[in-house]
Amino acid sequence: MSAPSHTELLKQFTASAVKAVATVEVVTADAEALNAALERATAGDEHVLLSEPDDLDPALLRVFLKNPKVIIRPTREQFSRVPTGITDAFCAIASTGSVCVAMSANYTSPMSMLTRKHIVLVDSAAIVARPSDVFSTEIHSGTGLHRSFTFITGPSATADMGPLVRGVHGPAAVHIIVVEHSHDRI
Amino acid sequence: MTGSDEVHIHPRDVANKSAKENLTKAIAMALAVENEALRLNTQTFNANRYTALSAIPDYEELKSRARAIKEDSIERLPELIATLTKAVEARGGKVFIAATKDDANNYITNVCRMHEAKLVVKAKSITSEEIELNHALEAAGIEVAETDLAEFILQISNEQPSHIVAPAIHRSRQRITALFKEHFDTSLPLDTGEDLTEFARLILRQKFLSADVGISGANLIAADEGCLLLVESEGNIRLTTQLPAVHIAIAGIEKIIPSKKDLGTFIELLAASGTGQPLTSYTNILEPPLLVPVLNLNGRSDTRREFHLVLLDNGRMTMRADTELKEALYCIRCSACMNVCANFQAVGGHAFGGECYTGGIGAAWTIGTSGSLEKGRFAELCTGCSRCVPNCPVRIDIPRLNTAIKQRLITLSGGPSLQKMFFGNFSIVGAVASLAPRVANLIAALPAVRSVMELLIGFDKRRPVPEFGRSTLVRQYREHSKKSRVQADASMSQPRAVLFADAYTNYNNPQVGMAVVRVFEKLGIATTVSATMAEGRDAQSQGLVESAAARAVKTAAYLETFIDEGSDIIVAEPSVLALFRSDYKALLCNDTLFKKLRAHTYDPIEYLNAFLSQHHRDPRTALRGMDRNATRIFYHGHCQMKTVGAGSAAVDLFTQLGFTVIQSKAECCGMAGSFGYKKAYYELSKNVGDDLVRQIRAAEVPGTQLVIVASGTSCREQIGAEYAGRKIFSPVELLDTLIRSGE
Repeated sequence: MSAPSHTELLKQFTASAVKAVATVEVVTADAEALNAALERATAGDEHVLLSEPDDLDPALLRVFLKNPKVIIRPTREQFSRVPTGITDAFCAIASTGSVCVAMSANYTSPMSMLTRKHIVLVDSAAIVARPSDVFSTEIHSGTGLHRSFTFITGPSATADMGPLVRGVHGPAAVHIIVVEHSHDRI
Repeated sequence: MTGSDEVHIHPRDVANKSAKENLTKAIAMALAVENEALRLNTQTFNANRYTALSAIPDYEELKSRARAIKEDSIERLPELIATLTKAVEARGGKVFIAATKDDANNYITNVCRMHEAKLVVKAKSITSEEIELNHALEAAGIEVAETDLAEFILQISNEQPSHIVAPAIHRSRQRITALFKEHFDTSLPLDTGEDLTEFARLILRQKFLSADVGISGANLIAADEGCLLLVESEGNIRLTTQLPAVHIAIAGIEKIIPSKKDLGTFIELLAASGTGQPLTSYTNILEPPLLVPVLNLNGRSDTRREFHLVLLDNGRMTMRADTELKEALYCIRCSACMNVCANFQAVGGHAFGGECYTGGIGAAWTIGTSGSLEKGRFAELCTGCSRCVPNCPVRIDIPRLNTAIKQRLITLSGGPSLQKMFFGNFSIVGAVASLAPRVANLIAALPAVRSVMELLIGFDKRRPVPEFGRSTLVRQYREHSKKSRVQADASMSQPRAVLFADAYTNYNNPQVGMAVVRVFEKLGIATTVSATMAEGRDAQSQGLVESAAARAVKTAAYLETFIDEGSDIIVAEPSVLALFRSDYKALLCNDTLFKKLRAHTYDPIEYLNAFLSQHHRDPRTALRGMDRNATRIFYHGHCQMKTVGAGSAAVDLFTQLGFTVIQSKAECCGMAGSFGYKKAYYELSKNVGDDLVRQIRAAEVPGTQLVIVASGTSCREQIGAEYAGRKIFSPVELLDTLIRSGE
């Protein structure tokens, strides 16, 4: 069986993520384009928490970082109060629409779990076919595998109160921005 | 409907099933109070699971891999505990091996005390329920906040979990609203799932922001990297394990697998098998102590993270040494066996469960962790319908496990009850009755006799005794072959198909057997009928394993002679077909013979389909002239037949013949052989049957004929009780009837 192409993986990832009730947009890998996307996604937010990326090229956030509403080092009070968090993910899963967010020394994990809206940035080259691929040493050589992380699949949810409800202890909304390098399209 | 007014039984009071009446009371309570929510929720999980699994292309392969990993893990358990301990300690974590629940409780309480913890936030952990951790912590003056919303509900209602994945699955939204209103004395409406969730979320957010210690369980632990898998959807596990600086995880030693790289296999199986999602919202892979900075949102000034892993034995090593209970250690607690189980769908884990472990797999766990065989009495609710077997991601044969438990309970009580003797020897009852079937039918219908039967063997008076045919199949076939000898002789020298005269077909349903003979002969399949023989179905379903094994050995030897002569064995009764294809593996202890039988036994329609396809004959041509007035069929496939892979034969054939076939969604009719005849289980059996009957009613279209077809004898009894005067067909009988009325 031949490996699915990059375009197929991205298409499948988008469909699966939407099925898991996340929203997805694909943005060209440049700081201006990403800034525009983040401005749109955070319109109406007074403040947003932004974690230093674990894996994504930090230069891509150069423009958005200048936005005064961005908080990089939140106080305790801001952690408990600011409803929007932006983090990167080191991997995404085509079959499930999940993004893998690291529990690193950065604030990636807290910002993706304490907030009500999680905006997540992932490199389109980091999409793998299925969850078990994340554990494959062929795909994630070196540090890729050796860390703590969470597969995030859509917003937090529960059926414990009877009907299905989205938005419990974690975010009620997940917006995924896939960063696409032009040479990936070949 | 709220039955709470009628049945004043608290689930906790009947959690311990060592007393027989607790099982009966729990069933009554669950049917009256919890049934509607249970059925809706479990059936939703069940349907979602089928959808999710169909999207996994290599499902069978994944299952085999998961099974192999678990077998290997339990085999190498002592070594893995050592590897895991080293890996966790190398990162600065601590490991404590707790031999008993007290050891575990004391250790955890001490860690909390050391940190002067006043408040502990806790993620869902059935293992912590097993050791009653909350009691221990509260006794030490430490507040425990259950943060999983289901556990939050149970903490308020003081109920035990009714399901291992969704512990409050027995509560409808309305019953949660009522509970919250009473407990919190609030004027908020709390009339929707959103209201309730937001209400609980705000309370728990305050707990998260002030907790000193977080306690979680673990779905699996990889020994090589000291890596925990924690699956959830609400986000409370993330907050529990990452907000407080101190994290304690408690897990049974059976959760350890050798390698982190194998987690992928289990992750893909767990969510799909459990809630029927590709993945749940959060699948956490933790190698604690974590690198995540301590936020101290609780106002403390902890500077570094601390991690304690408590590995619990509490009977598991004894289970490991027990050839039968060992199987339960492979369980990854996905809950598929519960959601697929017709009895569980009706009564849930408060009846079909013990103090914390629930469902078909729950009896072995209850016995193993409590050391009390009698607490596992709820194994009686496993009817052996076998629908859990193909749905278990680690291939545990749960009915077989429960048969072993039933057998131990029989031994413990000093031998089989009269009831078990009666139902376990139904083949002998049939043989005696067939000497004078009319007299037997008359006697069995006498009210006085029914009262005695109910008193002595618990045969419920409300159930008609299965009627005995006027003449047995063997006798009817003898008459039939005398008449047709002339034209048959030439082709019959070498019968291709030998119809096995099982007790049910021979004594109770000879007309089904004769339908097979006529249909097969019509198609030119040389057919004969075997002698009748007690094949062990009856004994096996009562847990009379020795007697079942003796019968199996005799029957297999007899059938082997036909197979060696080049014939195939046709089995009209689905439960007997399943016995040959599945149960005989263990009963015969002869794999070669078992495989031979499995390869040469067929359901009649399955055989007919194979025959036609082999001869490239279109069923429409082969069966032309058939009466085609009826066009709509409701078909209920027998539970065990679906499990052994013969479930779709009738649907395929009738669909090819141009009928519209509406398929039952019921996993089992609820009669399950003798189960529904027993007085103690009559209401439960009827409740399960009603779910099927509702589907039939919904399929009826005014002015159109709907033919009801069910493959099993007991399925037809169950449905027939609601349709007096209407014939409930077996597939082959319907075929025979249509052919004959077309002629």
